[in-house]
Amino acid sequence: MDATEAAAVLDRARQGDSEAFQALVERHSRSVFRLAYRMTGNEQDAEDVVQESFLRAYRQLGRFESRANFGTWLYRIVSNCSVDLMRSKQARHDQVRGDSLDEAVELPAADVPGPERMAQSAEIERRVQAALRELSPLERAAFTLRHYEGRSIEEISAALNLGTSAAKHSVFRAVKKLRVALAPLRSQES
Amino acid sequence: MSATHYSEDDLTLYYYGEARRRDAIERHLESCSACASVYRDISGTLAMIAPPEAPERGDQYGLEVWQRIRHQLPERPEPWWATFFRRDRLVFAAAAAMLVAAAFVAGRVWPRQPAGVAPSAVLQTASGGPGSIAAGDTRQRILLTSVADHLDRSERVLTDVMNAPDRSDISSAQRWADDLLTTSRLYRQDALDAGEQSVAMVLDDLERNLIEIVNRPSKISAADLEQIRRRIDAAALLFKVRVMSDELRRREDAPDRSTPRTSTRKIS
Repeated sequence: MDATEAAAVLDRARQGDSEAFQALVERHSRSVFRLAYRMTGNEQDAEDVVQESFLRAYRQLGRFESRANFGTWLYRIVSNCSVDLMRSKQARHDQVRGDSLDEAVELPAADVPGPERMAQSAEIERRVQAALRELSPLERAAFTLRHYEGRSIEEISAALNLGTSAAKHSVFRAVKKLRVALAPLRSQES
Repeated sequence: MSATHYSEDDLTLYYYGEARRRDAIERHLESCSACASVYRDISGTLAMIAPPEAPERGDQYGLEVWQRIRHQLPERPEPWWATFFRRDRLVFAAAAAMLVAAAFVAGRVWPRQPAGVAPSAVLQTASGGPGSIAAGDTRQRILLTSVADHLDRSERVLTDVMNAPDRSDISSAQRWADDLLTTSRLYRQDALDAGEQSVAMVLDDLERNLIEIVNRPSKISAADLEQIRRRIDAAALLFKVRVMSDELRRREDAPDRSTPRTSTRKIS
């Protein structure tokens, strides 16, 4: 689909043409899923985000400015849907807050696995995921956009509807928490 | 070694290439072991965090997502101008204008019916009743031909859809069906006005199935296609359309119009 064709499809979708919207869904679903998965770290949650993002996009399509880039606009919706989903999950899990971070980070020195095991990428991955789960939804979203997606602070603030300073500090807080959480791994490395 | 140190936040921005005083930080890290140690820790930690590999999604994933959400899409209010200029409305308006113009010309050119004869619709007038006249014959012949042609075209679309392979693109059949839908509504109304109930019923069945075809995704799934086929089969629609078309052709060609109309028989 070239740029002219894409603009025409988008225009038709904005006027309520569901077939045109279908074309947009088919075109962007995979990238939306990829971002949602990185944001949530969970396949089922990512599927929920994909679905909710497109429904939200359909409802808000009338407000989309045709000069803007649809992919960027959609990516903002996905980011916000991810944050909303993580917040609602966090609210549900607050009462039964897991001990994943305790397991992953605050293990007594004797329980810290040896260097051989630590070298295994699966173990590192498990601990990283546990540490990421301990971030607040906003911190995780900001960190994902900065670290995985390579978005600038300006872009993160636009995507998450935050001020630049708030976006920046969300990233800083995430990095601080991750440093603390992953310190045992670093100390084993050094 | 410089007296002032950079904060962890500055070094984080530096890691991501967003620090404003990048050259100064670089020089500082070369000379300040404390900041260099913090930076090593930050960069070492962040280097461990690789992007998670998202589970692979196939080429049909977009279509799967669409199938999941399409029944949940909310109604979006159209802008007033879009409603006003909708294509079917324009077609209706044009058709109505043509009918008015045709009626005006017919009224001016053709002789009036004798008083006391009801202004029956064209099909009825020309079907051999006492009020049958040449003008009515002509108009009926046109209408019979038009409806028969319409049914033939509809039969071709239905046949195309019935024989379409699974997951194929039916967009051309849908465009055709969309055009036929508009015409079908007009003919059905004419048939009702003329008391041609059986014609109207077949056209009504036809419309319902054309709507089904038009409203499906153009890259139709096997399940959707099967559903359409079952509907068409259940209504015996292809059979009805063929029978009705044949019957209208016979009536169109019949030299003796005083024979009773057969179209009033129920096709079921």
